[in-house]
Amino acid sequence: MTYEKHHFAAALAVVEDLAPALRLSLRVKPAHSATLGQALGLDLPTRVGARVAAGGTEALCLGPDEWLLTAPEGTDLATPARAVYADAPHSLVDISDREISLRLSGPAVLDLLAACCPRNVAAMPVGTAARTVFDSATVILWRDGPADFRMDIWRSFAPHVRALLAQVQGELAAGL
Amino acid sequence: MSRFRIPGKGRVDHAAPVSFTFDGKTYRGLRGDTVASALLANGVHLMGRSFKYHRPRGAVSAGSEEPNALIGTSRGAGRFEPNTRATVQELRAGLVTESQNKWPSLSFDIGAVNDRAYMLFSAGFYYKTFMWPKSFWDKIYEPVIRGAAGLGKSPTEADPDHYASRYLHTDVLVIGAGPAGIAAALAAAQSGADVTLVDENPEMGGSLLSDPAVQIDGRPAWDWVDAQLGRLRAAGVRLMTRTTAIGYYHQNMVGLCQRLTDHLDTPPKGAPRERMWRVRAGQVVLAQGALEKPLVFDGNDRPGVMLAGAAQTYLHKYGVKVGDTPAVITSHDSAYYAAFDLADSGARVAAIIDTRDAVRPDLLDGARLRGIEVLSGHTVTTTRGRLRVKSVRAAPMRGTHVGTGRDIACDCLLMSGGWTPSLHLFSHTKGSLAWDGQTFLPDRKTEACEIAGAGRGLWGYADVLADGAAAGLRALEGLGRAGHPAGFRVANDRPGTGASHTELPTDGNPGKARAFIDFQNDVTAKDIRLAVREGMRSIEHVKRYTTNGMATDQGKMSNINGLMIAADALGKQPPQVGLTTFRPPYTPTSFGAFCGYLRGETFQLTRKTPIDGWAEANGAVFEPVAQWRRAWYFPRAGEDMHAAVLRECKATRASLGIFDASTLGKIEVAGPDAVEFMNRMYTNPWTKLAPGRCRYGLLLGEDGFIRDDGVIGRLSPDLFHVTTTTGGAARVLTMMEDYLQTEWPELDVWLTSTTEQWATVALNGPNALAMLKPLVQGVNWDDFPHMSCAECTVAGLPARLFRLSFTGEVGFEVNVPARHGLTLWTALMEAGKPYDITPYGTETMHVLRAEKGYIIVGQDTDGTVTPADAGLDWAVGKAKKDFVGKRSLSRPDIVAKGRKQLVGLLTEDGSLLQEGAQIVLDPDQPKPMKMVGHVTSSYHSTLGHPIAMAVIEGGFDRMGETVFIPMPDGVRKARVTSTVFYDPDNTRLKA
Amino acid sequence: MLLIHCPYCEDSLPELEFAYAGEAHIARPADPSTLSDEEWRDFLFIRTNARGPHYERWRHISCGRFFNALRDTVSDRFLMTYKAGQPRPQLNEAAE
Repeated sequence: MTYEKHHFAAALAVVEDLAPALRLSLRVKPAHSATLGQALGLDLPTRVGARVAAGGTEALCLGPDEWLLTAPEGTDLATPARAVYADAPHSLVDISDREISLRLSGPAVLDLLAACCPRNVAAMPVGTAARTVFDSATVILWRDGPADFRMDIWRSFAPHVRALLAQVQGELAAGL
Repeated sequence: MSRFRIPGKGRVDHAAPVSFTFDGKTYRGLRGDTVASALLANGVHLMGRSFKYHRPRGAVSAGSEEPNALIGTSRGAGRFEPNTRATVQELRAGLVTESQNKWPSLSFDIGAVNDRAYMLFSAGFYYKTFMWPKSFWDKIYEPVIRGAAGLGKSPTEADPDHYASRYLHTDVLVIGAGPAGIAAALAAAQSGADVTLVDENPEMGGSLLSDPAVQIDGRPAWDWVDAQLGRLRAAGVRLMTRTTAIGYYHQNMVGLCQRLTDHLDTPPKGAPRERMWRVRAGQVVLAQGALEKPLVFDGNDRPGVMLAGAAQTYLHKYGVKVGDTPAVITSHDSAYYAAFDLADSGARVAAIIDTRDAVRPDLLDGARLRGIEVLSGHTVTTTRGRLRVKSVRAAPMRGTHVGTGRDIACDCLLMSGGWTPSLHLFSHTKGSLAWDGQTFLPDRKTEACEIAGAGRGLWGYADVLADGAAAGLRALEGLGRAGHPAGFRVANDRPGTGASHTELPTDGNPGKARAFIDFQNDVTAKDIRLAVREGMRSIEHVKRYTTNGMATDQGKMSNINGLMIAADALGKQPPQVGLTTFRPPYTPTSFGAFCGYLRGETFQLTRKTPIDGWAEANGAVFEPVAQWRRAWYFPRAGEDMHAAVLRECKATRASLGIFDASTLGKIEVAGPDAVEFMNRMYTNPWTKLAPGRCRYGLLLGEDGFIRDDGVIGRLSPDLFHVTTTTGGAARVLTMMEDYLQTEWPELDVWLTSTTEQWATVALNGPNALAMLKPLVQGVNWDDFPHMSCAECTVAGLPARLFRLSFTGEVGFEVNVPARHGLTLWTALMEAGKPYDITPYGTETMHVLRAEKGYIIVGQDTDGTVTPADAGLDWAVGKAKKDFVGKRSLSRPDIVAKGRKQLVGLLTEDGSLLQEGAQIVLDPDQPKPMKMVGHVTSSYHSTLGHPIAMAVIEGGFDRMGETVFIPMPDGVRKARVTSTVFYDPDNTRLKA
Repeated sequence: MLLIHCPYCEDSLPELEFAYAGEAHIARPADPSTLSDEEWRDFLFIRTNARGPHYERWRHISCGRFFNALRDTVSDRFLMTYKAGQPRPQLNEAAE
């Protein structure tokens, strides 16, 4: 009873780099968010953490007046937004280079995240995202599937986050 | 086969011998043994020496509460651990262990002379001894007494093991997998709730593992446990063994320390040794059971004297008979069962000495059946034997009167003073306790928790199982779920009650009785009474005066006995004297487990710029700045820091220097009200700043003191590119957001951090313009003077270009999207070759800015410096009606004379001053001298002599005066000057 | 580690996502220049330092919002949280 066998499994949690994408920070007062949404071609979600996608552009509601827009590189969202600036004043800032994005997946991905995320990641509904903390780094965590996540990390924090992830991957591989 | 091992008995694997060493001697144990059980199987009771008196000691318990059997364990270099409990450490092949606190050997220890001198080491020894004379502190007390104190030796090497961390969110956390915990987990798991059951032992089952004859629902105890664990597993319950709940924090946050590899012969590669779990539970069920109390009598610490329940555990879990002829001293029924089980396993029980007059008839029958003499109404007055108990003296007692005793030969003495509910975790929550006449029980709760079983004073398996199930059900209901109540049929139950005592009465000289309460800290009953006589009234004072309960076991065995005796001495009821506070961790926990991943490379978050890799490859020496690591200087072969910095400074002044400024904080301030917001936040006026121009901005707190600064560019009417100091970036953004959200929500302006969107490269030097011009497209150079900005391309990369200077030379800052940072850097290095472009680090940046008198917020200011104090009055828009901090600039103490003001200092002897050095006006005044300021910045410079900046009271009025800086090697003289040491007319900027 | 209910995210989340931001309901005067030195001193420096229920501000890293909370400084328990700009709730409201 006191002696245990250990099972070793490979690829329990995979960490991959994602290609750069267009990322814009949209700030607009709630009263004007519908106008902006119309201009950008999607309904800006109003619940924090909710995501809406249309025509290759996805909007994540980060706060009552803050959205993160993502789209393929080269997409022009600035022009349609500028067209409604007078009616719906806002700020649209390119932050494509501010963060790098990782894809985290695999059967043990929840354990990988639970090593450093105090938030109950397992309880995040698929299709939502949250700005939260991973160890001492602020990250945006996207849940794309039950065992499929993306993590946006401010560029300079990435070496620290990667090093932590690698340690936890090693721990998962050891099977204990 | 070891002599005290009973073939085939116990839960150990008799077919799997495991070798280990103790103090250099090799022993054989079995897979499943602890070090203690294996030593006991070999007839070894002597396992350590006590802390103060160096008395020989053996294992007194079979669990984590063990105070005596503390050993050092090791597994090769760096893997030595002191103060491991032999009763917890599982055997593994090749385990090396050693006893502690002995010299030269465990059986013959010089330090035991302390025991003869015990009168000197009574309660309050430290307080009484370390008073006088003062000169003894350094020479005697610290080196000799402190050196002799302490238990075990600290490891000296870095710990090579990994430690892990994990957050866990669970509906119900059940702590303790004995009968109550298992019943609670079964109840909680029935409605699909997420349940976690943890136990500090290698196996679940708790006391049932030591009571195999008990039958539940028609099954022997062990079969029942196996079946229930199977059911729990099938229901998806998380079962965690070797996992100690070390602390219970707010809102059902529980810390668990899981031991992963210490029991393994060969840990898997990369496996962490321990993992700290931070659990957030909807409901917590505390089912930690109860701890057996020792009885307090002379010689109760002799090796061979142990708790009766421990002997029962060694017998049933490990198949180890702790002696051939045990005697028993008890005030609780439970010890009878230990005696019966040992007798049934072939031991000859010398006698059961019961302090109580009346004994339950069925227990007397059981003793009679086994031929065991029962001495009711008796006390033990002393024990004999040097390194192992040989006899015990039993005497009849009536109250405190003791009759004629007789010696009873034995090779071990099992004691039971009853059971104390394990209240530690409950107490962490500040739950209140209630005294039931014998012990404290959990009372008013502060958290969503249930307490079940022996942990709230119940005894007997039928009651405990029913209570556990009810607690599990209540936890489920607390989650808003429902379940069915469960019942258990228990046969061969072992119910029991007992009596509580202070120290037992003795027929010897009470002044000489060595009746121990706290085994680990060598506190006796006499010490407690002495403490009370000497004026201690609160149990907290008694505790500190005697050190009772202050050892690594936190008084798990000693607190209640200590309290009973203190209360008796004070003539009060125990609740009036109070119980000391239990604090986390429940058991000693390794530093590694607390650190988790935060060591080595990941000790703390270290931010790196896009150009960091280039700097590293090119030999940069780094320094930490806020969370960043920044290139400090770039030494060439043979250069020390001073030489490298001087070379970098001169190259920049003479031709061209390049600097990674990416860490500068950047904030995009955008929206129709951007200029209004800037006017309110910064001291400077912004309305008239034209797009394409930039300005030095100064940020104050509402108190009028400088908080941050930086160059701010207006890119369009509605868009400002704000830069902040490296360390101030997050703070400034938060401060701005705060004003925007809570004071001025009406403004149409928004803030976005772009610190990391842009990589920033600074070019400085007389050749900066010539070198940069060919690489830039989209800038009208005819209208791009100093303090201009533009969106353009540089080296083909989209860029924001600033013409500004933090060196006094012509300067630019090129911002490009961060992914292109390194590309830009290498392109500029290439293009700069004809100008001998020289990369420089933060030290050179500091020297060059200091030569110009440019301040560094946080170095030359310290949170008490106003713009006027820093000579930055020119940056304050006095015509503005309001801005953050403006009102404070007219406060009486801000406009008063004699404020410290920022000035330059030049030493008379040309020596370098130390930053932080204090300044006086008269070096001959008596001490303590009046200090009028301090040096804020000090550098070797390109000017042929060192320069310094300082804040000095009334400094602006002291230009040309001499001030004094007393240093350990003599007083320095320095002349007060302007802070601008280089090119005061800014001619080089206009070049 | 506390769980704090963010009134904007409408969720109770770990304390590590939050930062304390001082006492609540201390509004910056509309025109500081009209305040006496004493009034301005009080605005700058004088705080309740409550033993017991304390109105205070926190910021949530997730939504970036400052909000108000009523926390008992003795038990370190949150009695309630509410959005910035909402009036100071009375103690009996928090107890409900």
